[in-house]
Amino acid sequence: MAERRITALLCENSAWKAYLDAASAGAAASALGRIDPVKLPCSGKAEVGLILKILEQGSAGVLVLGCPKDNCTFIRGNYRAEKRIGAARAALREAGWDENVVRLDFISSLDGHRLLDIVGSFERYIDDHSSP
Amino acid sequence: MITAVRKPFDEIAALLAGRRKVLILGCGTCVTVCMAGGEKEVAILASTLRLAGKKQGWSLEIDEATIERQCDREFFDAVREKVAAADAVLSMACGVGVQFLGEVFPETQVLPGLDTKFYGATVSQGVWAERCSGCGSCVVGEFGGVCPVTRCSKSLLNGPCGGSQKGKCEVDPENIDCGWQLIYDRMKALGILDKLAAITPVKDWSTGRHGGPGKIVKEDAVL
Repeated sequence: MAERRITALLCENSAWKAYLDAASAGAAASALGRIDPVKLPCSGKAEVGLILKILEQGSAGVLVLGCPKDNCTFIRGNYRAEKRIGAARAALREAGWDENVVRLDFISSLDGHRLLDIVGSFERYIDDHSSP
Repeated sequence: MITAVRKPFDEIAALLAGRRKVLILGCGTCVTVCMAGGEKEVAILASTLRLAGKKQGWSLEIDEATIERQCDREFFDAVREKVAAADAVLSMACGVGVQFLGEVFPETQVLPGLDTKFYGATVSQGVWAERCSGCGSCVVGEFGGVCPVTRCSKSLLNGPCGGSQKGKCEVDPENIDCGWQLIYDRMKALGILDKLAAITPVKDWSTGRHGGPGKIVKEDAVL
């Protein structure tokens, strides 16, 4: 089966830094090989239309990573992300898709190791559940 | 503004069933502000339909565009080619825009993508509430700036009724304020409560919906 790409929308204040840390470690490089990272100014900028467009254009999944709850650089941006991801998942249900191809999680800039766990878990879910 | 909400997805899908090419046309004014039918909402609906098409094997081609207003003829010029190329146009405007689209393009099938709700204001982020019923003969000047026609569920001009309890309306005590409580509180705060002693005569409802479809002619603007 062809490698299925995953788009990661990463808050530049937390997840993007964690991604750069993880990517700079040689052992981690292969684990991140299927990820297309996109730096956002805040996870709250992950708009519904953007997420759906990414899937429409062929990405197998969208992973949104924001700052830890109650520790958002923009105070409530990650709560905004939570609502927007909820709306994107609702649209996917309407379209007859598995809503879990969109996932949201929260990590700090020091959580490079957690980022690898989250990415690995999401990749396994995509491979096991979503159809090409 | 005129407020609206998007129709349920299944209803839209049923409207589009059997069509080959559809243009989803947004409106850049009221329904953009109330986040129901602007450019972003058009894109979300178009993507959702395309994703559904992929999953369910539809052969529906979807184009998308948004114009400034669908209630003014000149703004349609920008989308004439797109309209001509489509089997049908799903309008994401209010009911005015949907119908006017059909008048501008009489050969085109027009379909509504929204359910139009009311004339409302943005009371907080993401929340809109009704403030005007378009009765054609404004009376808020006699009621402290609060409209009894709209804010009272029964449009009473000599209220309140017996269904007013603790400032709430019996129609929906959790969500609807008693319009007459609002009128009383406002007039009291303004020091004009004495005006409420006057009995308001029967209103002439023919200036609004009860007089049939309305029309305004402003002679100095007519060419």
